[in-house]
Amino acid sequence: MRRMSAFALAILVAVPSPATGQISVQGGVLVGRGEHRIVDADTLVASSGTLFGGAVAVMFGERFQIHAEALGGHLTSAATPSLEDHDIAEAQILGEMKVRPWLNVESGLSFRSFSNSLARQRWTAWRIGAETRVPLGFESVAAVVRGYWMPLVAVSGLSNPDVALALGVGLDWRGRRMGISALYTFERYDFAPNNAAQRLEELSTIRVRVGMWWPPTATAKRST
Amino acid sequence: MRGAVVVALLLALPKAVGAQGNTADQLEQAARYHAALDVERELVLLRRIISPNSPFVVTYAQRVLAYKYLGAALVVQGQRDSGIVYFRAALERDPFVDLEPQRFTPAELAAFSDARRLVFGLGIRAITPDTIDPRRERVGLTILTTHVADLHVELRRAGAPSGFVLYQGVSDGPRELQWDGLLADGRLAASGRYEVVLAGVSQLVHRADSVRLYFSIQQDHPPLEDTVAALGPQDLLPEQHPAAMARGELYKSMGIAAAAFLIPRTVANGELHGGGRAFANGIAGAAAVVGVGSFIFHQRHREIPANIAANAERRAQRASANAAIRDRNQARLAQTRLIVAPAAGIGP
Repeated sequence: MRRMSAFALAILVAVPSPATGQISVQGGVLVGRGEHRIVDADTLVASSGTLFGGAVAVMFGERFQIHAEALGGHLTSAATPSLEDHDIAEAQILGEMKVRPWLNVESGLSFRSFSNSLARQRWTAWRIGAETRVPLGFESVAAVVRGYWMPLVAVSGLSNPDVALALGVGLDWRGRRMGISALYTFERYDFAPNNAAQRLEELSTIRVRVGMWWPPTATAKRST
Repeated sequence: MRGAVVVALLLALPKAVGAQGNTADQLEQAARYHAALDVERELVLLRRIISPNSPFVVTYAQRVLAYKYLGAALVVQGQRDSGIVYFRAALERDPFVDLEPQRFTPAELAAFSDARRLVFGLGIRAITPDTIDPRRERVGLTILTTHVADLHVELRRAGAPSGFVLYQGVSDGPRELQWDGLLADGRLAASGRYEVVLAGVSQLVHRADSVRLYFSIQQDHPPLEDTVAALGPQDLLPEQHPAAMARGELYKSMGIAAAAFLIPRTVANGELHGGGRAFANGIAGAAAVVGVGSFIFHQRHREIPANIAANAERRAQRASANAAIRDRNQARLAQTRLIVAPAAGIGP
């Protein structure tokens, strides 16, 4: 954890301090659906639910951005309440740098909590990856494709997963003052086998975000 | 003493022979004889000049001058009619011929005046090379009729069927005309070859005559600026998307849709039987819809508004620059001066 914090701090320090006029801020609300699937000891547990959240991004000039996002909701596995039902809460902070007009490299930390009335499981992950934006012809409409590798994942009560990756595909429309995006995300975690049983987890979401910019700008920026 | 006289005669002989050695000297001598009323000697000299057997070259002007003095000498000798014949010969060759009152007697002047009434001739004095500023100066033209006549003076480009009327009316004797350099359309005469055509009908003998004078005009003004060249394809942005672009957008959208569709089916762990396929399908469908919509839209609307606006701005800038250049050129043309010079060519 100390290494992760140091890395996040390094990203923040590395971001140059531009003039005030070069700073812009985004804010938005998120709503979506999430699906959490776990296989453990050959038993599949699937739960899903509606998620709500918000996001803030601060852009420094045209190249650097810090993006923070929080999301939470209640995931249920059946129509009737059960012990498998749980809450999810997630916070994420990412630093981004534009290396090409169409490519951002990103890195940051995410914190997640699964909890029910009996227990709470905490996840901490350092992710590194990239995001590309592909214009789709209409003015200010772009496709977003992103992928992350999570070399360091710490899960309370479990060993670290052998495989941890995240992918996302979505669409992003950006107006002069506000924007709307829809994003499908997928995360896969494969834990090391233990006594011939392997724990596998997936978290999939689809999230719609409505955001606003300050100050308004004519150039499209990332909104998701 | 006798020897000295002989020497003096010998010395004077070459000079006397030399004085008669060319037409100009002979004319000068004839004028001196005329002033001294030594008409006999004068007539000898003048007849020698106009004789076809004259050993010397006689120019047109010298022949006219000889006729003039011959006419005057004959009048002095009492042969008035013969004198008038020679005056007419002079006038027919050069209507500008005149007798200076201080050098000729009233009888001679009266005979000459009679000759002018009998001969109808028109004349335009040759233009001397000059540069004029048409805003302040004028081109001067001297025309002449030997006696009273109805006159029409026209200025036109050489060979043109019609031109600008400088004078129309009755005229007698010399007349000064002035031209401001403008043509009938009010424009300054362009560089080129022009002619002044003088046509008249005598009111005394009812004969018609015409004469023309060619001259050239060269406009002189500060150098003009070239206007900005027309914008070529390389100077303008494309105003329409290429036809292939719509297909490219469609392919991109379909690629995104395929990516969304495949992630839960390839990256997800098969043992979990999930991966949010419904979510992925939703995004894939949305991407496909956007792609198809973009394809249709761009098939129907290939124009690029931003480029159209940018091109319009460039065209406007060019038009504005050219307008400024035209204004500056107009200011320079307003300073135009005309270089007038005689030109070759004769007319009837």
